[in-house]
Amino acid sequence: MTSYKVCVVGGHCSNRVMIVAEQLTEFFEKNGIVCQVFTHLAASEYGFPPRSNLILQLLPAFNEEEAGVPVINIKPLIGDPAHPATIEKILRHVQDYYAM
Amino acid sequence: MSSQIYLDYCATTPVHANVRDKIAIALDVDFGNPSSMHWAGKAARELMDQARVDVADGIGAIPDEIIFTSGATEADNLALFGTMQQFSPENAHIITSSIEHHAVLHAVAELEQKGYAVTYLPVDKSGLVNPDDVRHAIRPETKLISIMAVNNEVGSIQPISEIGTIARENNTWFHTDAVQAAGLFELNVKKQHIDLLSISAHKIYGPKGIGALYVKSGLDIRPMIIGGAQEHMLRAGTENIPGIVGLGAAMNLVRQHREEESRRLSELRKCLIDGLQSIDTCVVINGPDEKVSPHILSVSFVGFDSEMLLIRLNGEGIAVSLGSACNSQSIEPSHVLTAMNLSQDQIDSTLRISLGMPTTKNEIELFIKKVKEILPRSIIQ
Repeated sequence: MTSYKVCVVGGHCSNRVMIVAEQLTEFFEKNGIVCQVFTHLAASEYGFPPRSNLILQLLPAFNEEEAGVPVINIKPLIGDPAHPATIEKILRHVQDYYAM
Repeated sequence: MSSQIYLDYCATTPVHANVRDKIAIALDVDFGNPSSMHWAGKAARELMDQARVDVADGIGAIPDEIIFTSGATEADNLALFGTMQQFSPENAHIITSSIEHHAVLHAVAELEQKGYAVTYLPVDKSGLVNPDDVRHAIRPETKLISIMAVNNEVGSIQPISEIGTIARENNTWFHTDAVQAAGLFELNVKKQHIDLLSISAHKIYGPKGIGALYVKSGLDIRPMIIGGAQEHMLRAGTENIPGIVGLGAAMNLVRQHREEESRRLSELRKCLIDGLQSIDTCVVINGPDEKVSPHILSVSFVGFDSEMLLIRLNGEGIAVSLGSACNSQSIEPSHVLTAMNLSQDQIDSTLRISLGMPTTKNEIELFIKKVKEILPRSIIQ
């Protein structure tokens, strides 16, 4: 099975998107989920969605129709890295993928 | 990308052709060091003297009261540190507002760390300081009041004449950061009882890297940069003659066009508000209805992500700002909008649109059209 790719999308602030990506990487590792987390700044490119299995975005850059993959708003993670509803949504998508 | 539209004149303005021509003379012809005693130095000194007269005339001061600096940040720093450092911290108090530019707020915070007492005045929901709050905050040991003339994020016009009068009545010095006011408002330091006033060239169609601090005759402030007798011993270093000439020319330019530009921009601002409000009920205008500068519009698109709006507008060649340009890299919540008690959601959905001499009605109409197209794709999910 190829590695599951998760793209964290931010706006201008590379620090913020990196922090969220690092937190998510730790979270996935702790939960035994094998995946590759990478980042994308919409300020540099918002016309074409990044190639991934799941897009987690801090701002409304892409929709599922154009991305062709699930897109989740993760803005609540900025204030609360363990935001339960957001984490649950992410987990559900990842688990669905591995259940296939 | 379609043609570019610049609507971020609060961040900076383009150098006007007339200003550029004057700067070219200082760069190419009169290149001397004004401290030199020969013909080249004399020519440069004459250019500098004329610029000092032009800047002084622009604010109702006399030329000897103008100290050229590297910009308004240095002018603000010189006003605050230069005033306060002559007093011991335990006997000196400063009054400022919570919506000042960081050039003032960070300098005040530094003074606070050194032990000076500081009062940060609140603002109302329009972003206005209440003069009565200034009066009530004054203590026997208050040495300085620093309140900006026009706020750079929401355009609120502060009651600086009233505050100046209060300061004078209480034997306290009054500093105002007039960076956003200098282009469109008549400033008169004598009539408005202003003791210290900061301006910047690049906000009024002059070059970057040059500004000035007005220091009322007789005021004793300490220099921050030492090592020469320039600028009445208040700012050592060879003068930036091309910049100084540019500041003088820019001041003349805005003085000549102040009234007509103020009228014209007021009409454009109204078109902008009407156009944006016709798009969606989510549009909320921040700042005062009346006491507001005609070149600044702070607008919240409630329920929409302003950063995504900015990114998409930029993709269409339209330049606007998120709250304050100084914050755009870190995207921290605006301290101005926070002080005005806007909700976090409203702050997150706010753009600052600022107009200038080159702005046309056609640009405003195109901007509104683009916002209409882009808005549905920037909904906070």
